[in-house]
Amino acid sequence: MAEVHVIGQIMGATGFSESSLLCKWGVHTGAAWKLLSGVREGQTQVDTPQIGDMAYWSHPIDLHFATKGLQGWPRLHLQVWSQDSFGRCQLAGYGFCHVPSSPGTHQLDCPTWRPLGSWREQLARAFVGGGPQLLHGDAIYSGADRYRLHTTSGGTVHLELSLLLRHFDRYGVEC
Amino acid sequence: MAAAAPSVFLLMVNGQVESAQFPEYDDLYCKYCFVYGQDWAPTAGLEEGISQITSKSQDARRALVWNFPIDVTFKSTNPYGCEIPHGLTPALSFEGPQIVLSVYGPDVFGNDVVRGYGAVHVPLSPGRHKKTIPMFVPESTSKLQKFTSWFMGRRPEYTDPKVVAQGEGREVTRVRSQGFVTLLFNVVTKDMRKLGYDTGPPDTQGVSGPSPPQGLPR
Repeated sequence: MAEVHVIGQIMGATGFSESSLLCKWGVHTGAAWKLLSGVREGQTQVDTPQIGDMAYWSHPIDLHFATKGLQGWPRLHLQVWSQDSFGRCQLAGYGFCHVPSSPGTHQLDCPTWRPLGSWREQLARAFVGGGPQLLHGDAIYSGADRYRLHTTSGGTVHLELSLLLRHFDRYGVEC
Repeated sequence: MAAAAPSVFLLMVNGQVESAQFPEYDDLYCKYCFVYGQDWAPTAGLEEGISQITSKSQDARRALVWNFPIDVTFKSTNPYGCEIPHGLTPALSFEGPQIVLSVYGPDVFGNDVVRGYGAVHVPLSPGRHKKTIPMFVPESTSKLQKFTSWFMGRRPEYTDPKVVAQGEGREVTRVRSQGFVTLLFNVVTKDMRKLGYDTGPPDTQGVSGPSPPQGLPR
């Protein structure tokens, strides 16, 4: 079985209109992949930046997969939320990116989007907060049924991931 | 006589904690330590260190320079051998080593308070890597607690800085990022390729990490 190590960090996020951001992340893989060690999902701390506008999380990611096939290459899906001084959370953006497929260190910039809703919901979100959210998280990383959504863009999440592949050459796979 | 296939590999890391950028604070020192899973063991070098206290330079750069050496070698311990037979889950975990940094400095009353925590994985691919990591401090929950901790000189800190290297339990913490530290690593590995690992193209001029916002010296 070939193995993939994903080691890195969710560095932080830029471009969001709100400060005090946190990120909920998870990894989705196909049926041929098996997670041998590491945590498959998590939530970062809430960061309020003092310098500049980039919120920094430095959340460690350390995953070890074994795989029998190339289909279903791991995808990292992210939900960025902002937290106000009362502790309420409001959705700032959804995003996903594939884990890189070549060994080495990669800088990833993942753009995010959030559902727009009707003009009434947009007005309510501006004054009171809240706003529409997805019922099922798999719309973040799958293309099915996306055509129903009308969304607006959020900021960008920055990640740095290092890939370590093992035994891929044994199976003739070039990465 | 053919040599037996190796069962462990070595990771040799040397480098330095180069400098820091903290616009609001001065007279800082840093401590580093390494956090690693149970399948790694340091075989040579120092696992922890405390640097000197540095002050900002008088010129326009206002740089905080430590130039503090790092020199450690890790061995991956792997008693069951490195092969995973079909369908069997091995009993070991990888958890690559991370370096955890804590920066401290004096406050207005002269007490030693924490100015930032940060962590980054030690790169596993051979070559030269420069990393700039953001440093953050835990935030007080309420304004009253913030004032009391400023007055008494007892800021919120982590009881064990190694918590910074983990992802679990972070969802209940609120932090403030307030500076950056630049690290330089030179990595040499032994027997990783023989064990089947592909670490990617060698990095001769690897520069990674977020760039500080405009206006701060790089």
